[in-house]
Amino acid sequence: MRDEHIISLIESTSLANLSENELALIRVHAKGCATCLQAFEAAQVSLLLLKEQAAVQSASDLGPSPFFHTRVLAALRERQAVNDTWAFARLWRAAGALASSMVATVAALAFLTFVIPDTQVATISQASPNANSYSAEEVILDQAQSDDVSDSQLLTTIYDGDEEAR
Amino acid sequence: MELARSARDGDESAFEEIMRRYSPRVFRFASKFFKQRSLVEEAAQEVFLKAFTELGSFEGRGSMEGWLTRITTNTCLNLLRSSKRRPELTVSDLTEDQTDWLDKNLTDAATEQHQSTERSLVAADLAGRVLQTMPADDQLVLTMIDGEDASVKDVAEMTGWSESKVKTQAFRARRRMREAVEKLLAGRKGRRQELGSARS
Repeated sequence: MRDEHIISLIESTSLANLSENELALIRVHAKGCATCLQAFEAAQVSLLLLKEQAAVQSASDLGPSPFFHTRVLAALRERQAVNDTWAFARLWRAAGALASSMVATVAALAFLTFVIPDTQVATISQASPNANSYSAEEVILDQAQSDDVSDSQLLTTIYDGDEEAR
Repeated sequence: MELARSARDGDESAFEEIMRRYSPRVFRFASKFFKQRSLVEEAAQEVFLKAFTELGSFEGRGSMEGWLTRITTNTCLNLLRSSKRRPELTVSDLTEDQTDWLDKNLTDAATEQHQSTERSLVAADLAGRVLQTMPADDQLVLTMIDGEDASVKDVAEMTGWSESKVKTQAFRARRRMREAVEKLLAGRKGRRQELGSARS
């Protein structure tokens, strides 16, 4: 023990729990070792400080104030109210996402049902007079661009064959 | 258990009864870690708010007192961790009373003499100042094991740590505390020597 430092011994357990033999060994060693003597003194002062602190704290013994319970209950209600608001906000966010996706679906369906067919009818009705105006000439006679052909010539060309056949 | 069940079902008066029964103990325990009354109250309030939200996890296997002590320990540890740690304490930071106390105990370190109330208050204050420079876990083990003579097993139960962790933590904490005090004592010795040579 004389050659071994005792610092680890004084740190392994509270000095108050060391046996008389252990303390005697420490003292003997510390007499011849300045480093360990310094450590031992500091450990004793540390223990004394901690014991004094414990004694002072147990003597002062803080108890709850008369309004402590009321204050805790108020804080509890406040916290619950905040939690409820958060829960509602979470529910609203979840429901909001669902509702907005439903609205988007309904809007898309309405658009497809009412707007698109109207546009198609309008397009067809706008496009058909033009188509009729020169389809017969283009397809049958291929002379639509010719300004020399009169209406009577056209009619004759169309119906002459029928009359000849009769 | 019946009270806990009622409180869990939303019976406010049952929870109030739990507070009435256990708040003195919670206060007593929290005051080991905080000197200011406002901090003790803050810790105790946080303990009961946590207890209310965690009532579902209390299965009644252990005592409610033990369950609340563990919540108190963890709450105090968290509060200590979140509070700013003081930088290293030097002799020049100490009050005159505190340096006197060190001088007195330096000359007679081996004797745990009975001290006057005033000197005890000075020592307690100094202990608080030294502890504030240390990590929260160190403060806990030193206060409980060395200050209050709690066993390693008790601290393990309070904190939920393993016994070997408590032992290791206590070993390191003692070393830190000893080193901090050693520096103060060395600083004080140096100053006394300076004063002595100046007088001669």
